[in-house]
Amino acid sequence: MASNADAQAQPAGTTLMAAGAVMAAIGAISFAIALWSGDAQIAWEAYLVNLLYFLGIAQGGVVASAAFYLTQAKWGGSTPYRLAEAFAPFLWIGFILFFGLYFGRAGIFPWVLHPIAQKAAWLNTPFLFARDGIGLGLMALTSFAFIRVSRSEEARTWAVAGEEIDLPPHAIRFWAPIVAVLYAIIYSLIAFDLVMSLAPVWRSSLFGWFFFAGAFWSAVVAMALTAVVLRGRLGKENVFTNPVFMHDLGKMVFAFSVFWVYLLFAQYIVIWYGDIPVETFFIVQRVHHMPWSPLSIACVLLIFVVPFTVLMSVRAKQTPAVLGGVAMFGLIGMWLERYVLVVPSLSRDALPLGLTQLLITVGFLGAFIVCAVPGINLTARAALSGEAIGGGE
Amino acid sequence: MAARGAQTGLLYRSMNTVTIIGSFSGEGECARAVRAVRTARIDDFHTFSPFPSHKIAAAIELPKSPSRWVALVGGIAGILTGLAVTIGTTYEWRLNAGGKPLVSWPPFIVITFELMILLGGISGFLAFLFMSGVPAFESASGYNSHFGEDRFGLVVRCTKEDADGVESMLKTAGAEEVVRGV
Repeated sequence: MASNADAQAQPAGTTLMAAGAVMAAIGAISFAIALWSGDAQIAWEAYLVNLLYFLGIAQGGVVASAAFYLTQAKWGGSTPYRLAEAFAPFLWIGFILFFGLYFGRAGIFPWVLHPIAQKAAWLNTPFLFARDGIGLGLMALTSFAFIRVSRSEEARTWAVAGEEIDLPPHAIRFWAPIVAVLYAIIYSLIAFDLVMSLAPVWRSSLFGWFFFAGAFWSAVVAMALTAVVLRGRLGKENVFTNPVFMHDLGKMVFAFSVFWVYLLFAQYIVIWYGDIPVETFFIVQRVHHMPWSPLSIACVLLIFVVPFTVLMSVRAKQTPAVLGGVAMFGLIGMWLERYVLVVPSLSRDALPLGLTQLLITVGFLGAFIVCAVPGINLTARAALSGEAIGGGE
Repeated sequence: MAARGAQTGLLYRSMNTVTIIGSFSGEGECARAVRAVRTARIDDFHTFSPFPSHKIAAAIELPKSPSRWVALVGGIAGILTGLAVTIGTTYEWRLNAGGKPLVSWPPFIVITFELMILLGGISGFLAFLFMSGVPAFESASGYNSHFGEDRFGLVVRCTKEDADGVESMLKTAGAEEVVRGV
């Protein structure tokens, strides 16, 4: 009986970790082959897209946990916190991989080979890698300081005490706002440096916000998908079988999907009204030109139209297959969104997707899975601990 | 906030009935009492709470309010109004703004969206007022001013034979005070 319970608490075991490691190896080998065989441009583009995407999920999750504390969320005991923090170890991988961009800088940043005189003080290689490296490092350190207190017994006790109205522990109240504010600042910086500077004459002050709100949403859908998968693997009695819990997760997916499209439209309409060529070219290329136009439409469908229409009813949010399906499509949509933001600036008419990109993506996914395994096991333990399972009252 | 249970009406008028008023310090206890009363198949009751309580509403299993549909119709009417106003006025007063198409959807979306929210919200609110019987000039039976401050109330109307059973039910569920009225 005890061994059975242990097996249930370790849903993501060595098999998954090994699979992730193999995937990561496949990705690394494909990346190396692409560099050697002259597909370096494609390889570096895929590297940047995946770095932004998976880093966004990992960091967005930590911010989601901080946001739960800031709103004093007790809707699922400690499980939502463990779930949101599960992907965090990838922050260190992402921090290291970021410096890999240094070797591909000539292909990625147009201003390396063709410096723009007016912007040279900001857009130059040493300063960019210094400020973004420090930013990502600071973000990872802060995130782990926060997670350490979040996983303490004191914080857990607070999250589980549903009827109490006490504030979270003092250390949490110190770290959670820092994580949230730093995220807004540093991920705006990342958006400006690693995405906007690929089209160095284009500018939008709203872009950073749009970028990190999207990353936050990708973390929320990753949480929803993980919850649906764990629900099936943890047996009858776990938090994820509680319809109230799934309803709350579904509400998060719904709400931040609307927030994403709100920021998209807020940005679009200002550029549309102004109609200044230096601003419109970025949109025109992605929305009206082949081959990017169908991809952009697919993003809006997968990130906004599908979640909004499908998850409108309570019953849909509580049906794991529906919520999981929407989350799955949302993750694909968010990947496409990052792709459409990055690649058209570099390869104007390239064939959008190929085997190289796919294998590099598999590699990043593998590394991400390896990083997520311990956190997912912690989540499973919280989900099985019996907190917030009832939900009738 | 007064929430009514399914009233049988027949019992309400009968002379052989008594009113039992339970006062609770928490919504959870009140919801538990509601569930106990419903399990005993007594359907003539209503509750008071200082704020709208999801727990009590879930215990009563109130049917969903039709005001949702009124809000939907209002919202759709808002969309149609928004489109009619924007497209209609553009055709009525043809202005070429910066060489853009006459009927340009991006700014129209804003107006259409706002009108959808406005009419949907107003119609939902009016439907809520109508459905909830506001304004009410007479307070429902068993009302006590504490139920508007920090106490939850459950008022049960039942036959004299059931009265003792109901009283003990309310006490078991955690009532602070149980009063018998006429």
